[in-house]
Amino acid sequence: MHISKLSLINYRNFLNAKLLFSRGINTLIGENGSGKTNLFKAIRLLLDNSMPRSAIRLNEGDFCRKLGDWRGHWIIISLEFDDIKDDEVSQSLFIHGVGNIENQAVAKATYNLIFRPKANIRQALGLLAENDHISLNNIRDNMTISDYETVITGKSSADFNSPEVYTSIVGDFDSVVFPRYLQSPEVGSPIPNVLSMSDEVSFTFVKALRDVVYDFRNNRTNPLLTLLKHKSGEIDPTDFAPIAVLVESLNSSIEGLPDVSEIKVDIKNTIDAAVGDTYSPKTISIKSGLSDEAEQLFQSLKLFVDESDDGHEGSIDEMSLGGANLIYLTLKLLEFKYQKANQSIANFLLIEEPEAHIHTHIQKSLFDKINYPNTQIIYSTHSSHVSEVSKISSVNIIGKVNGLCTVFQPSTGLTSREIGFVERYLDAIRSNLLFAKSVILVEGDAEEILIPILIKQVLGVSLDELGITLVNMRSTGFENIALLFHDERIKKKCSIITDLDALFFDATEITTDTDAIKKRKKKARGSQQKGTERKVALDAFCNGNDWISPFYAEHTFEVDFIKYGNRTYFQNIVDDVYSDAFTITTSKNNLNSSDISVRGQRALTMANHQGKGWFAITLGKAIDFNVYIPEYIINAVKFSHGTFSNDILLKIITYRFNRLQKFASSTRESLASNPAQGDANFHAQWNNYLLPLERGMAIFQPKLFQFIENGGDIQLLKAAMISDIILTSSNMILERI
Amino acid sequence: MFAWDKDDLNDEQVEAINEPDSIFLVACPGSGKTRTLTYKIAKELSILEDKNKWVVAITYTHRAADEIKERIENLGVDISQLWIGTIHSFCLEWILKPYSGYHDALKYGFRVINSYDTEELITQYCQAYNQPRISYFDCGYYFTSSGVSYSCAPNKIGQVTDIISQYHANLISNNQIDFEQILFFAYELIKQQPSISKILSGLFSYVLVDEYQDTKEIQYVIFGEILKAGLGRVKAFIVGDPNQAIYGSLGGYAISIDELRSVTNITIREKELTKNYRSSSRIIDHFSYYKVHNSGIVAAGELEGFPSLITYDQLLHKDELANYLATIIRYSIETLAIPENEICIIAPWWIHLASMTRSLSSQLPQYSFNGPGMTPFARDEDNFWYKLTKIILTEPSPSLFIRRLRWSSEIINCLIDAGVDASHITSKSLLRKINSIRIDEQDGLGFLGIMFNELFIQLNIDFNLFSTLKEHHDTFFESSNKRIDRIRNENTVYAGSITDFRKVFKSKSGIKVSTIHGVKGGEYDVVIAYGLLEGIVPHFNDSDSSSAHKLIYVIGSRARKHIHLISEQGRGTQRYPKVPTNVLNGHQFNYDTE
Repeated sequence: MHISKLSLINYRNFLNAKLLFSRGINTLIGENGSGKTNLFKAIRLLLDNSMPRSAIRLNEGDFCRKLGDWRGHWIIISLEFDDIKDDEVSQSLFIHGVGNIENQAVAKATYNLIFRPKANIRQALGLLAENDHISLNNIRDNMTISDYETVITGKSSADFNSPEVYTSIVGDFDSVVFPRYLQSPEVGSPIPNVLSMSDEVSFTFVKALRDVVYDFRNNRTNPLLTLLKHKSGEIDPTDFAPIAVLVESLNSSIEGLPDVSEIKVDIKNTIDAAVGDTYSPKTISIKSGLSDEAEQLFQSLKLFVDESDDGHEGSIDEMSLGGANLIYLTLKLLEFKYQKANQSIANFLLIEEPEAHIHTHIQKSLFDKINYPNTQIIYSTHSSHVSEVSKISSVNIIGKVNGLCTVFQPSTGLTSREIGFVERYLDAIRSNLLFAKSVILVEGDAEEILIPILIKQVLGVSLDELGITLVNMRSTGFENIALLFHDERIKKKCSIITDLDALFFDATEITTDTDAIKKRKKKARGSQQKGTERKVALDAFCNGNDWISPFYAEHTFEVDFIKYGNRTYFQNIVDDVYSDAFTITTSKNNLNSSDISVRGQRALTMANHQGKGWFAITLGKAIDFNVYIPEYIINAVKFSHGTFSNDILLKIITYRFNRLQKFASSTRESLASNPAQGDANFHAQWNNYLLPLERGMAIFQPKLFQFIENGGDIQLLKAAMISDIILTSSNMILERI
Repeated sequence: MFAWDKDDLNDEQVEAINEPDSIFLVACPGSGKTRTLTYKIAKELSILEDKNKWVVAITYTHRAADEIKERIENLGVDISQLWIGTIHSFCLEWILKPYSGYHDALKYGFRVINSYDTEELITQYCQAYNQPRISYFDCGYYFTSSGVSYSCAPNKIGQVTDIISQYHANLISNNQIDFEQILFFAYELIKQQPSISKILSGLFSYVLVDEYQDTKEIQYVIFGEILKAGLGRVKAFIVGDPNQAIYGSLGGYAISIDELRSVTNITIREKELTKNYRSSSRIIDHFSYYKVHNSGIVAAGELEGFPSLITYDQLLHKDELANYLATIIRYSIETLAIPENEICIIAPWWIHLASMTRSLSSQLPQYSFNGPGMTPFARDEDNFWYKLTKIILTEPSPSLFIRRLRWSSEIINCLIDAGVDASHITSKSLLRKINSIRIDEQDGLGFLGIMFNELFIQLNIDFNLFSTLKEHHDTFFESSNKRIDRIRNENTVYAGSITDFRKVFKSKSGIKVSTIHGVKGGEYDVVIAYGLLEGIVPHFNDSDSSSAHKLIYVIGSRARKHIHLISEQGRGTQRYPKVPTNVLNGHQFNYDTE
């Protein structure tokens, strides 16, 4: 038996969330503050008997804030269990309480916590006439949290995640239609008194940053003692008899130590001397109290572990935190194995962020090898290094969509073949995309290296700050991964950046072409043909899916990069790329050409010469804030990120203004300090360039300060910057964001 | 494991208890049937290892359930895995409440209607029928697996069918069900959802049924299905006495072992308890004449050779009845030194008893009587407010603490069932509250009214908001007021002070006054029975030719020492005077004469 579904309605961060779980190990992925802890809390309310009984009595703060006025609404936490059989006698009690009969058989069970207005309120709501908003408001206005009750039910047949079902059970506040009946089969029946869930299943919650050494010291939480308790009852008396004899002789040997007898005599003498014979006790003895009861003797057993392979076995206190945690988890797992024999029909282990406990390498093998029957593990993580993360069929992702905590199952609706492909493809780096707020998929190293630099240099904010994760597919097989982003699966934006490979030179074969040129032209024509085909396929793939969108480089990254500017950056690194003087000169000339077929070809040749990745790094170092970002890249960023918030816009404007200022002042400085470097003409040219810039900045600066001080309309500020400071490259980027 | 002293049980009883297979046990009167059942439960509980299994025992009354439960507790056996109660409670707890969502008639919730309200409702529908005139008493009905059975005279069936269907329609529209429907819907659920019996069979280790002879066919089917689904894992212990099957008109009948085997499809052994420890041989000789099943019975007790007085009077006029009874009572107490609570007066019908009790208590003011006409409020065991009254009117004392605590938790369960959020109430806190409330009202019913209000104010619950509680409240006071009016009309001094109310729950004292059906299971030194007239015993509607035998068998087997039977004259009309019960009249017995 295992938990197959958790539905949360109006609970804390979750207005309406559905999590699906499979047997075995399950992963919960979520950024901080996305509500993982609340989600665990919800499960614990239903299953963890270490929670105080009063915890199920919820309060106002437990209603999801997005709900607005909570009065009259319900909170529903519903667990569904799978792998259930009505002829499995060990499950009978569980099924009696929570099993759902469908088509004359029991295949699943539901167990729900429902926090709702008390019967009298629900009755009053049920009697309201349709559209009688005044009376409804009257009832709601007088409602307080003390008008609420918690009921625990089983056997509910409802899909609580469906808004229609919610309306039919709870009521329609808009048209004032509330159910007439106080009870409905959809909500389920109250749990019979005879069922105590904590007796049926065993449940352990391992919270993040648990003080494991403390747990080992504490008799109640020490997992070793629990294990020994299970075992001590089973000891064969004949095995234990010789030990008991030893304990007895040990006790008498201790008692017989000369020092011990001496103390005994001294005590007796001192008492006699102090109070006299009449009042002093007749006899006094010192007894060694080593117990000969198995259970008590076992309590003296302690775990010693040799962690460092140096032959020294240390106690738990001496262990590293990670090591102690590993032992702790292992003992917990063993406990489950014993409990299995102890009639509990399922074991649940919830681990909050195992990366906080255990080194990732150990986690990998730990999770890989856990395979106890009837044991389900659900853990939350924000580490992409846990191998289980890539098993998307047992992953739930918690994320925010329009400020609402939402849960996605990345494998919904995918065929097992598609899932298999994704799972094989998601390595530690690529599985980052499961954690991302939004994603850009690129096909090669150049994009992977340069796009973050371009954005950081030009906008002053990093991709991380924009919540964009860039994933290098190292191929053009985008569809296999992009299919994860879908209304049914991960509801996050994903841009795909790829090359169209359109020709940028005339590839018509002419008779004078050498074989090498012929070959190159043929290849280029082939690439163009393939590029066009790819576009048709990719456009079709993205069509109708609001979560993904393709963005095409007309030719290829390097060519598009130099096509509309940026040639200075290439020129500045020619010396780094080539050492041969002739090649350097030719290259510089090529790059200066107004013909894209010439300078584009050079850009490509340079990249191929150094290797595209290394070249990208070289180029990246040369890039500054004035670089021109090809349109398709900025569009991809905008699609992934969505509208830039006012805060980010201000950050960009401030950043660009500071850069301009720094640029102007450092240019002035170098002009002043180094008059010999150029002639008067050179100075005059620079002056002409700088003066309008400085004038513009002087006009704009007070506006910026004013804005930072008092706020205002960011769009006006942006427009002011564009009109005040005349600078093509800067204005272009501002206009585009 | 639970063990008993050698003298606790006889060989027959031990054999029945130690039998590993399921058992069908026919027990003669006074054979220690309840004792055997109690020890059997105790034994099965003590060897029950699976913490998720229950021993389920079905008794005929709540009182029997309480008694057996206490006896087992006193044997030192943990009763946390014992479920014991009536078949109706069984169906409610184990079938209707958990599985109501699967029945269209129940899925939006249901409340169980009070028997008083049933009577009022049916009486109301009866008024529309004149030819023939139909009364509430014509409208007895019960369900079988093949439909509804009516207990009225054949000429009234059409009208009664109409009335009952109107009554049922009314119940449905109010989300109510009555006691017969509890069984019917449980039966339907069990039949429609085979999973239910599968699941329940996984939860029970034993199903014990007491008084099987009064069990209805539909009840046999309900627990039979569970036993069948258990494929022999769930054992049965069915005990009773076919000679005492007196609920035929309500559908009860003594199943045969073969039929039981086919209903349950499990191995069942047949055994007998034949030793009567209760009565003298002379008494046994007398009532054995009325046997309808040939089961064994031998006198085995201390009174075996006791010189019993057995009288039968056919000449007495009904107007002389009270005097005559008073004479016997006085003689028994003053001459034979029988304690007053060892005397029992039995009549077939309740109406004969209420006034008799009152006139006897004014004739014999020195003795107290414990009978139906004496209770100033409705004794409806299933009424919430009656249950609460039971706690309110018993004194908090250490000896009653456990029992009152149990009643208290029962009250809390009723509150939860009614839809009240009772999460802040514990059985101890509820008891403490009840004990701490002081009210200066002398009138009994007035006292209860104020007490209920005060208690619910303290609990911070407005019971008027919850239909079950409100309905039960109305019923409780309505029926109590009617009862008090009736007592007043009969010109006796109305004993309605709160002190009198409290007496109702004092442990059994005084001379017992009871109907034949109410005396089931009881035993007394002296039994006095009157109204043994054809048309009354057996009931004029009763088509079963053996029911007079069984009724007299039950009366006769209650007595330890002496028995006085009376077929008085003067009942019936001038033209059709009632005559002594034929069976009794035909019995040639060497009766004693005064």
